Amino acid sequence: MRKNSLGWSLFWAIFLALAMCFPAWGADVIKIGVIGPMNFVQGKGHWNGALMAEEELNAKGGIQVGSKKMKIQIIKADSNEFLSITDATNAMERLITRDKVDFIVGGFRSEAVLAMQDIAMDYKKIFIDCGAAHPELCLRVGKDYKRYKYFFRQTPFNSNYLGKSCFIQFATVAAILKKTLNLPKVKVAIVGEKAMWVEPMIGAAKKVLPQMGMEIVGTWRPSQVATDVTAELSAIQRSGAQLIFTVFSASVGITFARQAGELKIPAVQAGINVEAQKDGFWDATQGKGGYVGTLNTYCRGVEVNELSKPFMDKYVKKFGETPTYTAGTYDAIVYALAPSIEKAGTLDADKVVSVLEKSVYKVPVGTIAYFNDEKGNPLHDIKWGPGFVTGIMVQWQDGKMKGVWPNHWKAAKGVPEVTYKGIVPFKIPPWVVAKYKK
Amino acid sequence: MLLDIIVSGLISGSIYALLAIGFSLIFGVARIVNIAHTAFYMVAAYCIYFGAQKLGFHPVWCMLAAVVLVTVFGLICYKLFIDPIREHEAAVLIATIALAMALQEIMLNVFTGTFLSVPSLIKGYFLFFGVKVFYQQLLVFAAVVLILAALWLLLMKTRMGIAIRCVADDREVANLMGINESRVAMITMGISVAMAALAGAIIVPLATLNPLMWMHPLIMTMAVVVLGGLGSIKGSLLGAYILGFTEALVVFLAPGGAFLKNAVALSIMILVLLIRPEGLFGVSFEEER
Amino acid sequence: MGALAYYVRKLYTIFKGEVLVLPSRVAVLLFFLGILLLPVISQDPYLLRILILTSIFAIFAASWDLLSGFTGQMNFGHALFFGVGAYTAAFLSLHAHIPPWGSIPLGACAAVLAGLVVGIPCLRLRGTYLALTTLAFPVILMGIVFALPDLTGGELGISGLHRLSGSRLSDYYICATLMLGLCSVMWKITDSNTGIILHAIREDEVAVRSAGINTTRYKLIAFCLSGFFAGVAGGLYAHFMRIAGPSTLEVSMSFAVVIWSVFGGMVTIYGPVGGVFFLFPLLEFLRFWPEYRTLLFAGIILFILLYMPDGLFPWIRDKIEIECPRCKVRNIATRNTCRICTAPLKLGMTGEGG
Repeated sequence: MRKNSLGWSLFWAIFLALAMCFPAWGADVIKIGVIGPMNFVQGKGHWNGALMAEEELNAKGGIQVGSKKMKIQIIKADSNEFLSITDATNAMERLITRDKVDFIVGGFRSEAVLAMQDIAMDYKKIFIDCGAAHPELCLRVGKDYKRYKYFFRQTPFNSNYLGKSCFIQFATVAAILKKTLNLPKVKVAIVGEKAMWVEPMIGAAKKVLPQMGMEIVGTWRPSQVATDVTAELSAIQRSGAQLIFTVFSASVGITFARQAGELKIPAVQAGINVEAQKDGFWDATQGKGGYVGTLNTYCRGVEVNELSKPFMDKYVKKFGETPTYTAGTYDAIVYALAPSIEKAGTLDADKVVSVLEKSVYKVPVGTIAYFNDEKGNPLHDIKWGPGFVTGIMVQWQDGKMKGVWPNHWKAAKGVPEVTYKGIVPFKIPPWVVAKYKK
Repeated sequence: MLLDIIVSGLISGSIYALLAIGFSLIFGVARIVNIAHTAFYMVAAYCIYFGAQKLGFHPVWCMLAAVVLVTVFGLICYKLFIDPIREHEAAVLIATIALAMALQEIMLNVFTGTFLSVPSLIKGYFLFFGVKVFYQQLLVFAAVVLILAALWLLLMKTRMGIAIRCVADDREVANLMGINESRVAMITMGISVAMAALAGAIIVPLATLNPLMWMHPLIMTMAVVVLGGLGSIKGSLLGAYILGFTEALVVFLAPGGAFLKNAVALSIMILVLLIRPEGLFGVSFEEER
Repeated sequence: MGALAYYVRKLYTIFKGEVLVLPSRVAVLLFFLGILLLPVISQDPYLLRILILTSIFAIFAASWDLLSGFTGQMNFGHALFFGVGAYTAAFLSLHAHIPPWGSIPLGACAAVLAGLVVGIPCLRLRGTYLALTTLAFPVILMGIVFALPDLTGGELGISGLHRLSGSRLSDYYICATLMLGLCSVMWKITDSNTGIILHAIREDEVAVRSAGINTTRYKLIAFCLSGFFAGVAGGLYAHFMRIAGPSTLEVSMSFAVVIWSVFGGMVTIYGPVGGVFFLFPLLEFLRFWPEYRTLLFAGIILFILLYMPDGLFPWIRDKIEIECPRCKVRNIATRNTCRICTAPLKLGMTGEGG
């Protein structure tokens, strides 16, 4: 009897293992894999954007591929990249070999995307990055075009442009501060979490900010998961800074904003604070995160072009919250993949790549065009600048996220001023005004 | 600046002390390294969040409810998963790791990975000789003092306290003396989890909640407990403040290296252990045959 | 010709007498054959990837058991050796352009040095103190890695490494044969003089010292050997994933190896190997329910520990084999008498045909 049950369990185990080995059969659909940290807000953004794209395209009957119309099917893959790079690469491989997807969109953590990129390139599948900003990802395309040409970046623009954008926004705030409070020179405190992507930002800030006429009074580097930054805040207050350049992507962004607000530190926060880009920021800081400014991609009420409002309205209606930039998977599918497939007339990766890399197209956040490196090799990286993608700056005013930049922004001499619809002026916290205005 | 360091050190030290004492207690009595200790702290934090933000109850009631609920929950987990395998130390270790992982996943599924926060019990701050201190932080410090006093009373003046100290001293002889050793272990487990929950209740308004928040305090708690000597409450207290001050020193004297406070604290722990292998106040174990 | 037939027959007799006699040895034989012959049945790249990673982690887990199981030095920071092996192999591969078969052994040697660095402070520590102290080392190294981002690549780690070999299949064979080979070597070590001394150190160090053996030296040997094998695993991992990042030093990696080993059964080399081969694919398999994957995983571990606290494989082995009370040789459980000394194996049996 015992031997029998052992035999049966063995049978079922083998059966299940074999069942796992068989690939999923699909009808005539285009399979698009969506890979991301699905338990976290970034992955949810990936999935939501793709979901919206799938519904919209399938409602129209699908994409025209040559002579027939094919619907799209999105397949979810949890990369778990925050906790395990191994998991991420396994998920990517599974997506390609088991689920047999034709295209992949998503990715967030740069370390993971670097590894996942290699796998996608091994199998010659088009992989559109919607979350990692590291320049290396696209530099690889320039260095080894033949292997890496299947990789494109959709969002965000790479970290070099991130810095540029950030500094321009920061300078604008500094100018407002200087004028309103009548300051001879604006004193800046740089606070950046200890993370790899922050290093070049801080290095650049130390060079650029003095050139812009600001004085740097100190640099602080709290840990990414710091739960108490009162020490740093006391030191910043002591240093007399009026403006804080924040470079945060993790939970310390919430802690910092909350404690600075509670302690009423007399300085304005601007820069990058990824947590402040999310709807949940106000509650997370217990309402103390007011007047925090940060770089952002989407904001309710801000329109970059005619595609912005329909996208924003549809997303908010469907999911009840402002999209994070990882929802760029929508752009990747609807505006990048679909038209390129239709134009190429086939799903063949090489042909789609050659169509896509030459395309210049509009998306809700601007216009996408891919640029080349100095030697002329394609990088499949997106252009930054007025008329392309610039990003926006938002500030939390009265519990709501409002767009405050570009506001009469003159990018260069001879270039017209840029102001997006829905932008409002930047507000300075009353306690800062009280302290400095004589 | 010196005052900043002192205040900051006292507060960090108090937070670590709250967590370390519970951890040390359960180890001293039952020889269980409870990796899930900070996971219970996290569960308590989420309970408070749920009560305060979702159900709208006053934070104090939420805290009391959370402490009670988490203690009961902890005891159930102990009875189900740990008690049966108490003799196998390695297995207990793994069981607590698995328990911590399970709790993390449950929190991740219920509350998702977004960062959440809880309102302070007492809002606002005050100036202490020019240093801004939150009332909540003062509360942490006061709580440590109160809890220590209560624990001291319990351990020194009550019969159960004597029983606990006996079992911590020598398990087998305590058994011979007629003390129900496994019941004492269970009660100690309850006290330990209750302390973790209390720590959660008091510290949580200062921190941000997310399902991974239990890992970092765990490392520091273990460092504190090892430094102070396993099983010694006095040692844990001292160790907590030493490491708290070290952290404050690192943050103030080397602001660019604030992230290194983990590494520095652990290095100090290793240094002390090199000189004194049982930690500051630890009892060097006889080979328990 | 006759000589050949003689040797074949001799081999067969030894085989029948030694291997087929015990189910556990048959299982090991089947395992070896299964691993080596799997590509004949299926060359699915996803399956091969899972098995390659499993093999690498099996070497890692077995090396942990060598140190913590056999020598009793509970090492909660085993990820240190893994990470040092991975990073060193990555450095050498990227900057000195040494191919994988050179960078991995050199990475392992660096891990041996790490073993000394960890082992020496830990000589005087016992039990839980040792465990918690070893936990600190990878955390400190991770701090250093982040503090020197130009050298170590910070969070992104070092990427763009050479592949392990030309194709997925040859990767598989390299990792699988290395795993089988290294684990056999570790098994042989535990069976040798050194191994016995290590085991004795675990049981009672004072007694070993009073027998005149320099336990310090043997403990350090254990740390170094363990570090070597873990470093090999780290190097293989770096080359296979083509990236060596701080994820190799994380606390979760240290904990994972402890979980696999204890689950599979400590103080046996085959326990951790089996544990990894059971748990790692299980975690992948559970992708069916992505939200509850880790939860189910933790639940399975908890429940199995309740019933098999010594580990899965010792439990299975105890069910299918019995140890003879007189000559201490293992027999298959269905026998009534010992195969060597014919003593009755079960109570109430009085010899043949009883």
